[in-house]
Amino acid sequence: MKKLIKNEELCTACGTCEQVCSETYFKEENREKASLRVEKEVDVVKLTTCSQCGECIELCPVEALYKDKNGVVRINKQECVGCFSCVGFCPEGAMFYHVEHIEPLKCIACGMCVKECPEGALSIEK
Amino acid sequence: MIKVNGRDFPWEEGLTVTKLLEKKNYTFPSIVIKINDKTISEDQWEIMAIEDGDDVKAIHLITGG
Amino acid sequence: MNYNLKENHKLLTEFQYQPSKADKGYTNKSLYVNLSDNKIKEKEVTEMIKEKFIGGRGFGLWYLWNAVTPNTKWNDPENEIIISPGPVAGITQYPGSGKSLVVTLSPNTGTVVDSNVGGYFGPLLKFSGFDALEVQGKAENDVVVFIDGNKGIVTIEEAPEEAVDSHILAEQLTEIYSESEEDKKNISVVSAGTAAEHTTFGMLNFSFYDVRRKAVRLKQAGRGGIGTVLRDKKIKAVVVRFKGVKGDSNNPADFEKIAKTGVKLHKEICRLDDSQNRMRHNGTTFLAGIMNDYNLLPTENFRFGSHPDGKLLTAKEWIKYFDYNGKADGCWYGCTLGCAKVVCDFELTSGPYQGQKVVVDGPEYETIAAVGSNLGIFDKEYILEVNFYCDTYGIDTISFGTTTAFLMECYQNGIINKETTGGLELTFGNKEVALKLLHQMAKGEGFGKIAGLGIRKQKELFVKEYAADAEFLNDIGMECKGLEYAEYVSKESLVQQGGFGLANKGPQHDEAWLIFMDQVNNQLPTFEDKAEALHYFPMFRTWLGLVGMCKLVWNDIVPESNKDNEEPAKITEHVQNYVDLYNAVTGNNIDINGMLDQSEGVYQFQRVFNLRMGYGTREYDQVPYRSMGPVTLAEYQSLQEQYDAQLKELLGVEPEGKSSEEKMKLLRQYREGQYHKITDAVYERRGWTRNGIPTLETLKKFGMDFPELVEQVEKHQ
Repeated sequence: MKKLIKNEELCTACGTCEQVCSETYFKEENREKASLRVEKEVDVVKLTTCSQCGECIELCPVEALYKDKNGVVRINKQECVGCFSCVGFCPEGAMFYHVEHIEPLKCIACGMCVKECPEGALSIEK
Repeated sequence: MIKVNGRDFPWEEGLTVTKLLEKKNYTFPSIVIKINDKTISEDQWEIMAIEDGDDVKAIHLITGG
Repeated sequence: MNYNLKENHKLLTEFQYQPSKADKGYTNKSLYVNLSDNKIKEKEVTEMIKEKFIGGRGFGLWYLWNAVTPNTKWNDPENEIIISPGPVAGITQYPGSGKSLVVTLSPNTGTVVDSNVGGYFGPLLKFSGFDALEVQGKAENDVVVFIDGNKGIVTIEEAPEEAVDSHILAEQLTEIYSESEEDKKNISVVSAGTAAEHTTFGMLNFSFYDVRRKAVRLKQAGRGGIGTVLRDKKIKAVVVRFKGVKGDSNNPADFEKIAKTGVKLHKEICRLDDSQNRMRHNGTTFLAGIMNDYNLLPTENFRFGSHPDGKLLTAKEWIKYFDYNGKADGCWYGCTLGCAKVVCDFELTSGPYQGQKVVVDGPEYETIAAVGSNLGIFDKEYILEVNFYCDTYGIDTISFGTTTAFLMECYQNGIINKETTGGLELTFGNKEVALKLLHQMAKGEGFGKIAGLGIRKQKELFVKEYAADAEFLNDIGMECKGLEYAEYVSKESLVQQGGFGLANKGPQHDEAWLIFMDQVNNQLPTFEDKAEALHYFPMFRTWLGLVGMCKLVWNDIVPESNKDNEEPAKITEHVQNYVDLYNAVTGNNIDINGMLDQSEGVYQFQRVFNLRMGYGTREYDQVPYRSMGPVTLAEYQSLQEQYDAQLKELLGVEPEGKSSEEKMKLLRQYREGQYHKITDAVYERRGWTRNGIPTLETLKKFGMDFPELVEQVEKHQ
């Protein structure tokens, strides 16, 4: 199963991953449009990433969520009715939405952020 | 004698919130308990003693069928 | 097989239109279909209609008012069925946002009735270009009305071959009108069933296709006999198809606000439902156990409020039957409260479909109480079977249950007997006979024909034919305005007695359900408090039916903040959510008071509508004594300590030394007096005369001083 693995101990919360993600998919540097989140409170870093657990799949009223052959949970945007049930129920809090888009945003473990992370805090497990 | 939701109810030695709810058969899952206007959080119900003369409110947060 | 069904359709008329896209929640068009002359047209929804009637029930009332005269009967061709979803309906982000409201002249009450229902029809109708559908006239032969919202075509087709019973018909039509398996979710069918033809309390099923279980699911507009009207018009079904629902199909003014409010509620449900009502697991079945514990579960025609076997009907007993495991169970997209529970592969033991394995939607609390405890039956599989058959036959489980409970008490009192019932031993607890009666209703045979008349007509009949004691029948027959009671024992809650009796359409709890606030919490000590509650809650709840939203999401999940609220019963945070959603969809800017004003206008309109139809005065707000207090000795004795104490405390009467009969009489005098007092207090709060008629000032205050309304109230001032 392919998924993004985080190592919060190495992360400095520089935000590069968020920028790379939104740049890749929306051609703009806007962390609100990234499919992962990094936050830092005092000295504690929190990385929110999708574990591809698939809890959201059964929740979707139109079966627009599915696992691809690599075990990555994907959204069929054609079918998605934009209800954001999956956003509210994600155990990791890793299903996101942005008001400019009527479908949710989620990590598909593409690995673009992994390549750019200066600290090696992110990796792809296959 | 104590008041429960403004009505008389017999008091007895060792009465706690949990025991009172059992006696009243108050089984609804969302109830706010106040003793003499002070809210008692649910983790205190087992141990919180109700004294003779106390004014107890057991407000059920249910508004419909 | 289904292909042949379609081949045998005879096209009566076809109407083409350019579907209007929703703009800020409204398409600004309604669809009018006349079955007598097969005329179809589009109508403008004017700013006036939107401003004063908002949508949903409001639109239904307005169109019906204009369609009928004071002399129109429910089965006259000019009676209409109006379905309208409301401006907020169809958003997908906030749970419970897919409701339709249906309005017609009721065969139960003779006046206007409204019923709310889930399923996909309302939102799909809107996205097909219509804020409302009006169906008038009567077809010669059975027809299907089909709206294709993608192609912009409405047809009336004779459909001779399809089944009438909903579980088959809805599946057949979903198959016929969908273009593929994937397209099935874009179809919604409105239908009734065979028993709707032979009873006064037929209901409407609104379907949605459950993609996960590959099954057509049914939600019910239960109250008031609308299914009977549908079949009287020779409508087999109304079908809509619309492909392309998206998160912004309503074209809301402020999508961001809707998304934020929706996600907030999804998270709240995710966090709290498991420790609150567990709606996602139980649906509304959890209420059965609660009501039994608080002596509020109708048992044996509302004689009692609990039963030792009530424990057999609690939620944990029902979840064993439900097919759930975290699957989506909403009756519209995005409802994560998901109370629409389902039983799959249920094998029927009786009737025309005996031996078949079927999908049963429900049961909901009302059904459990109506067809179970209220008949003295505590058998889950029997309840599932009745639930299934009521749904497919197209009759209301509440009216079926409450009516049968009345008949059972009549039987036990010798008012009817084995001879008059054609051999049916209608004793409490007799589940085989209850099922037989239901199957007779579907066939229009035997005593089923009498049972299908409903309580009001049965009372008249039994007095006339069997010399029954009219007073006793009026005491125990649980109907008001001709509508059978919903399933709560209101004897110990004066406010709930008013909640039932003073409701516009009859004793349905969707206007006001205040038993706990009043009886258990004792939060409404004065008549002023009681009247205020009987003002605020009906107005607030009415509003949900104007905009197309579900009531359960308001109060079957409660945010953490609520316990610190000064008025926890209002669940203010959720009320504010609704206001925010309405503003965000429509671009208007109202607050909670503005919301109540919108409702109140429509509410006053409905009251005057009742008046116009020959009802709507104080005498029609009177309730049977069974809803107020103990009619029989057995009832008094079951709560003797409590009643004796009340005589002492409230009346200053020493119960000792008095016979039970004397005590019952005193209690009755007191309670009937209290009911009159609450009636007076509520009328005053609602701006009505002592005869229950809105004053001219009241109509003016809410912008309802249309000449034809003024004329009605002036007649009675």
